[in-house]
Amino acid sequence: MVDTKKIAVAGAAVVLFVILVTFATSYMSDFDTPRTSTTEDEFKTLELKQAPVLGSKTATVTIIEVGDYQCHMCKLWFEETRPQIIENYINTGKANLVFVDMPFLGFDSIPASEATYCADDQGKYWEYHSMLFTYQEDEIDGGWASATRLQAFAFNLGLDIEQFDKCMTTDDHYARVNYNKQVAVTEFGANSTPTFMIVNTLSGESQRVVGAHPYSTFENLIDSLI
Amino acid sequence: MNNIFGIIYSKPSYILIAVGIFSLLFIPLIIISEFLFLEPFLVFSVYPETTLSFSLIVTLSFLSSLAVSMNIYRVKLIKETRKIGSSIVGTIIGASAGACSCGPIAFSVIATFGTIGSITSSFLTIYEIPIRLTSIGILGIVIFITSKSLSRECKVNL
Repeated sequence: MVDTKKIAVAGAAVVLFVILVTFATSYMSDFDTPRTSTTEDEFKTLELKQAPVLGSKTATVTIIEVGDYQCHMCKLWFEETRPQIIENYINTGKANLVFVDMPFLGFDSIPASEATYCADDQGKYWEYHSMLFTYQEDEIDGGWASATRLQAFAFNLGLDIEQFDKCMTTDDHYARVNYNKQVAVTEFGANSTPTFMIVNTLSGESQRVVGAHPYSTFENLIDSLI
Repeated sequence: MNNIFGIIYSKPSYILIAVGIFSLLFIPLIIISEFLFLEPFLVFSVYPETTLSFSLIVTLSFLSSLAVSMNIYRVKLIKETRKIGSSIVGTIIGASAGACSCGPIAFSVIATFGTIGSITSSFLTIYEIPIRLTSIGILGIVIFITSKSLSRECKVNL
């Protein structure tokens, strides 16, 4: 009788090999992309306070979301929980939202974050942010956030493409994205995305939430902090 | 085949083993896959998009508990351990799928192994459903073969 264990192991090995080769091939094209280094002086000139804020800047509660644009759970939270928070807390002026980049999942995560700040230069940070999560695809580094697609998103939002391209090719916001990643890890202790810090801006009291929690978690926490 | 299940699970110890294995697999998997949150409150949540993934975790845990408990019975009956390995292989394959995603496991894997870690994490995330289906298939085969083999051996022993 044929040994099912051997068949299973051989099948798994073949599938794994094929997938690894496919992935390795797609990653090779990214290896020769140069990245500008970021000095400590550059970090010092940047502050999280400069981050775009969704909602009233004087709101009592600030929700800080630590995320990666290629993270599936971040997309899930964006689609399922965020709209209810916007409706009940951000539009009513009770809370505001800040996004802190922690691009760690793939090579396209950093350019995607950079692109949001290039869009911010033209006043469309949150529109671009929403577009990335709306059009996020399953495959990490599968091309949905390639340079061409990032440019296409900018075009669809009516951004000045020449200015956007210049911003992307000169890595204008690379230092800022890197700084945000450092802040996410060191200040907020994030080791996964999404991670949230819900802060009462008056008392400084804060609560940490790890994962794509449902609306009820945020409702309870925000109400307890207001 | 029904008779075999009846014989095995008429003994409370095998029901306990099956429930124990189900819990040991199901609870960690729903925590890792972010269906159950322990902090800041105990929250259970299944979004419409993740219903399939949750159903596969339930199926995988259930089949693993059946496969392993049946094989423990078989080991005790005929002192043969070969198929228990297949059920463990099936369980491990299924459990590893989707365990990475954007969670702390992925962060650790990527931070430790760099590009290789990133590739592995991507693979386990993208192919979460096919991997779990494969695992369910392996466990199904193991249960089928084990039950047939037990039917034969029980007849011989009777």
